[in-house]
Amino acid sequence: MSITIEHLNKQFGSYRALNDINLEVNSGELIALLGPSGCGKTSLLRIIGGLDVADSGSLLFHGEDVQQRDARERNVGFVFQHYALFRRMTVFENVAFGLRVKPKKERPSDAEIKRRVHELLSLVQLDYLADRYPAQLSGGQRQRIALARALAVEPKILLLDEPFGALDAQVRKELRRWLRRLHDELHITSIFVTHDQEEALEVADRVVVMNKGVIEQVGTPDEIYATPASPFVYQFIGNVNLFHSRDHASWTGQHGDAVAYTRPHDIDISHVQQDATALPVEVKLVRAIGSVVRVEVSTQNSSELIEIELSRERFELAPLANGDKVFIRPRQIRVFETGAQHELSAA
Amino acid sequence: MVQVQARIATHESKGVTLLLIGTALLYLLLFLGLPLFAVFYEAFRKGWELYWAALQEPDAWSAIKLTFIAAAIAVPANLVFGVAAAWVIAKFEFKGKSLLITLIDLPFAVSPVVSGLVYVLLFGAQGWFGEWLSAHDIKLIFAVPGIVLATIFVTFPFIARELIPLMQAQGKEEEEAAVSLGASGWQTFWRVTLPNIKWGLLYGVILCNARAMGEFGAVSVVSGHIRGMTNTLPLHVEILYNEYNFVAAFSVASLLALLALVTLLVKSLVEWQAKRSGEPLHHG
Repeated sequence: MSITIEHLNKQFGSYRALNDINLEVNSGELIALLGPSGCGKTSLLRIIGGLDVADSGSLLFHGEDVQQRDARERNVGFVFQHYALFRRMTVFENVAFGLRVKPKKERPSDAEIKRRVHELLSLVQLDYLADRYPAQLSGGQRQRIALARALAVEPKILLLDEPFGALDAQVRKELRRWLRRLHDELHITSIFVTHDQEEALEVADRVVVMNKGVIEQVGTPDEIYATPASPFVYQFIGNVNLFHSRDHASWTGQHGDAVAYTRPHDIDISHVQQDATALPVEVKLVRAIGSVVRVEVSTQNSSELIEIELSRERFELAPLANGDKVFIRPRQIRVFETGAQHELSAA
Repeated sequence: MVQVQARIATHESKGVTLLLIGTALLYLLLFLGLPLFAVFYEAFRKGWELYWAALQEPDAWSAIKLTFIAAAIAVPANLVFGVAAAWVIAKFEFKGKSLLITLIDLPFAVSPVVSGLVYVLLFGAQGWFGEWLSAHDIKLIFAVPGIVLATIFVTFPFIARELIPLMQAQGKEEEEAAVSLGASGWQTFWRVTLPNIKWGLLYGVILCNARAMGEFGAVSVVSGHIRGMTNTLPLHVEILYNEYNFVAAFSVASLLALLALVTLLVKSLVEWQAKRSGEPLHHG
């Protein structure tokens, strides 16, 4: 089921949580809402799920306005950050809940409920835990039960609020791959909220980057990383070096007051000066981290540090040591005028 | 070779430990144990027969009945009120929330005698609504309804106070999950909220009941002390005592003391159960 959001606004007291949000989610898509805490991503998710109400704007499911519909009538599965499993019920009863509360004429028989619950528990590979209570499960298991519970009512849309936020790194990685596979099997239109860029880029079909109640950019993970639409996206996704026009006019171009952004791995290092735009620098720190080598250099006349990443192979072709005098040149650089930069520094 | 003895920083010597425990026990014995013993000792001093006779006397019976009636109305009324108040306070944001919490605490802050007087001022013959009430032949003050009203007022914080922190700590995610799964408000309350608070609720009911049966000040003001009609157990004890009828006074008082002991026992059982089921109580 597709979701259309138009001119959505939400205010909490004097705090503007959502500011004129427009978004189109295609049927069967897996979307990530990505942004720092307080950017409005969870508010947006809760409004879509019917747990909060927008102040203005429209929200359509498959072309149909659903704003007047209660959460219980939207047919949306919601997975909470802290699982929100019913602590007084067994795993089985948790998953069966959505079926048991159906009106009498729609409610499946006990045998049918049993069959469906076990089917869902097998889907999340936790059938053997049916008789346990939530307190007896690990975080990863709880989250999978929460997902099975949400899927039990066959929702047309699945909403996940920081689904892996409370888990440790290893379980997180495993679960997000598993979520991606599950989505490829079920094809439910899904939106998940995260503040972890790696998670968003790895799992989602498209990523929505939000900041201070505004959508900064919508695009595929590749687009978001390769061509950030704003200084904020540049800084939020991956590492970045900043060059002010007053010091580096040759890099920022003819712009009056501007800032240029470049990724650490988009900078070339050379022992000889290739051309006039190359910047003479001194190597301050060389550190190998796994498959990459991180080099910090500084310009001679100012103390600004520039971060550069080289692959190990590349580094071994032309090794560097602290104190080396070298020349750097960006392979790729994006320039934003300083007007836009103001927003960024306020973030 | 030097022997190093392991010492824990918070470990006291045996003498200090014994002294502390002894002081606490002595204090309890003096101020709790002795009076409790005295109540039963005085009640049975002249033998079983007089004890039984004192309890079977018609006025005593009527006091027992009235006490149970007042509690039987006040406790369910405050149960409904307490759950409703805790529900709105814990699960919703609204203006005037802290004012509501303050109001719930009011009976704890106000002397019971004052709350009784307020009822007399409002509903008594000379009170604000007195004329209207007597014109419609409704008698609240110096009658059973006044006693029930005063009891409700004095005991209404108990259940709400017990539930508010519990429900606040539990948050509203489980309720939101239930609603998103298609449950109605009623289904959510019965299947999710109530099971989550049942031990806290029971604990509040026990305390509320103990106070409802034992309340003296507020009830004393609105009762009018009409023997056999508007006397509750605590009031009856006072009357008997003032008449120098010590055996009867202590016999009736022993019922209240027994009630306190039963309350303590049930309270401990509930605490133990709550702890076992992982629902830590506010007052624990």
